[in-house]
Amino acid sequence: MAGKPVRPANAIDQTRRMLSLVTYLRERPGARIEDVARAFGITEDELVSDLDVLPMCGTSFRGGDLLDIDTDGERIWWHNPAALGADAAEPLRLAADEATALLVAARAVATLPGLRESDRQALLRATAKVETAAGEAAGASSRLSVTFEAEGGVFADVDRAISERRRLWIRYYSPARDEVTEREIDPIRLVSVGHTYVEAWCRRSEARRTFRLDRVAEIRILDEPSAPPEVELRDLSEGLVQPAAEDPEVVVEVGPGGRWVAEYYPHDSADELPDGGLRITLRTPEPASLRRLALRLGRDGRIVSPQDLADSARRAAREALAAYDGVEAADVEGYGGTAGTAGGSTGPVRGRIDGREQQR
Amino acid sequence: MAIAKAERLMNLALCLLGTRRPLSKRELRDSIEAYVESFGPGRGVAGSDDSFNRMFERDKDDLRELGLVIETVESLDGEVGYLARRDSNRLPPITLDAEEAAALGLAAKVWQQARLAGAASGALQKLRAAGLPEDVDPYEPHSALEPRIPVHEAAFEPLMLACRDRRPVVFDYRKATAARPEPRHVEPWALECWRGHWYLAGWDRDRGAERVFRLSRITGKVRSRGTAFTAPVPDVVTVRETVASWAGENADRRALIRLRGGSGYPLRARATAVRELGDGWDELEIPYGHGLDAWLVEFGPDVVVLEPAELRADVVDRLRAVAKG
Repeated sequence: MAGKPVRPANAIDQTRRMLSLVTYLRERPGARIEDVARAFGITEDELVSDLDVLPMCGTSFRGGDLLDIDTDGERIWWHNPAALGADAAEPLRLAADEATALLVAARAVATLPGLRESDRQALLRATAKVETAAGEAAGASSRLSVTFEAEGGVFADVDRAISERRRLWIRYYSPARDEVTEREIDPIRLVSVGHTYVEAWCRRSEARRTFRLDRVAEIRILDEPSAPPEVELRDLSEGLVQPAAEDPEVVVEVGPGGRWVAEYYPHDSADELPDGGLRITLRTPEPASLRRLALRLGRDGRIVSPQDLADSARRAAREALAAYDGVEAADVEGYGGTAGTAGGSTGPVRGRIDGREQQR
Repeated sequence: MAIAKAERLMNLALCLLGTRRPLSKRELRDSIEAYVESFGPGRGVAGSDDSFNRMFERDKDDLRELGLVIETVESLDGEVGYLARRDSNRLPPITLDAEEAAALGLAAKVWQQARLAGAASGALQKLRAAGLPEDVDPYEPHSALEPRIPVHEAAFEPLMLACRDRRPVVFDYRKATAARPEPRHVEPWALECWRGHWYLAGWDRDRGAERVFRLSRITGKVRSRGTAFTAPVPDVVTVRETVASWAGENADRRALIRLRGGSGYPLRARATAVRELGDGWDELEIPYGHGLDAWLVEFGPDVVVLEPAELRADVVDRLRAVAKG
């Protein structure tokens, strides 16, 4: 049941489940608790709590028999299946929400570019059958849709490497350092949370790493077997990026135009500023990787701390400006004049600034 | 101790499903233990009729929520009775093979939102009761893939229900660049998750036009408006195209840049033409759409924009802002 979201007991879910359970148990005298729990996707404890309630339930008004269902802890026995008339035990039609939840998910999974073709075909057949069986209840499912993103070819190779237990060689782009590195990885699993990722043991860093498939520049399946060490699979429902408490803290202040930062970066806090902006505190193992963010923000925000990160963004901007024209750089206060190293001879660029820029 | 709600709902469901004639409210009240215990003979306190009626209405709504079709029938002497006919509640015959069952099992696990996760499991359980094969354990990953649909936005559930029931809503919405949220009156059509974010498409009543909203920018509560839709709902709602245009995916122009050798892989991956300049720099032609200036600035001194002048100006402008700190 790993990865299944833990939810508080809910009377509606339990009622829904018990209604299906009576239909199911009626056909299977002596069913094993373990098997029934697995078939219903619930824990054995949840099943046992249902079995506590069912003997208090009955079909007919006044004087009808209660369901005589009990368990010896291993198997489930129903001593009076006739208490539930044959037609009161028939499977129930799908509710609108049930049809929507199942159909939207099935359609989304079917669009995954790297899904095995046989699985996709099975899913499409199943989806069509469920649509027919759901009838009108399927209607509202068109009001909800999900698209997963995955790089088809890379996905297929990773999926194959996992099932054949083979090592992968990849060239991988790291935006934090703007560099492409080669590494060998032992893939563990594929995860789709918006983007699609492969979680793997990286042989270069000898650590668990997560790689986004659309950043894989090149991939090859190696002949060597994959041998990731036993690692405990994390619950990824809270997001893939889970900064550690000991990671350095970065404080960013953004104006209204930079509020998107709080949507894209997991953070500890985001406090409202009087001008409609935010003061965002986040943690990252590599603060230098946020230089990109500081540059992108422009006038919409600035790094408050650490100071070296703020300085490095400023230096990078000055260096970049130097490649355009001395004019731009000159009016920057404290400009140190490292023009020579910026872009080498940027001949074609010089002197082509039009008047508009100067006015800004 | 009060009888658990699940037991009460289960008994009400079984009574309504098991009967061949409509049962009156009084009959149900006198025969279901949970009602007898709270409202039965000897417990008649002032106002208990009202509280029974409220509980009974809520219970019927809950059962309808999980798919039960409950009919209300008025008898000749004017008494109202209730029943859940088998014909209208029976799942039509459906036969799925082991592969199809395994595929649905994978799909049923993708929701991380409680209500939809519960509904998807409920659907699978009903199919299981109808004989869905169990040979392949659906809760073991079939493929190595573990797709998950993230839902972190509080606005999701009320909007999902409003789309389902075609109910207009009002919520406070903060545009990407606005300092303050403002109320928006919307007839919600559809929700779509793209690249891990949820969007709502609908009719914006104030602007009299179709609009797409990002759920993470909705602040505060989504409130229902008890009125009907005023604008027609289109057959096809295009959320993705709208969002893609925000993100500059629909670039229709070209830009010319210089890029330092070895850097800027994503720019190279998108380039329509690359020319080595021989001085450690390359010249690239890349698609130019909304947002390109901000992206190019991320590469700092490794990118120099050559053309068009408008893009150069935007990039220089941004760099100046950073340089001034």
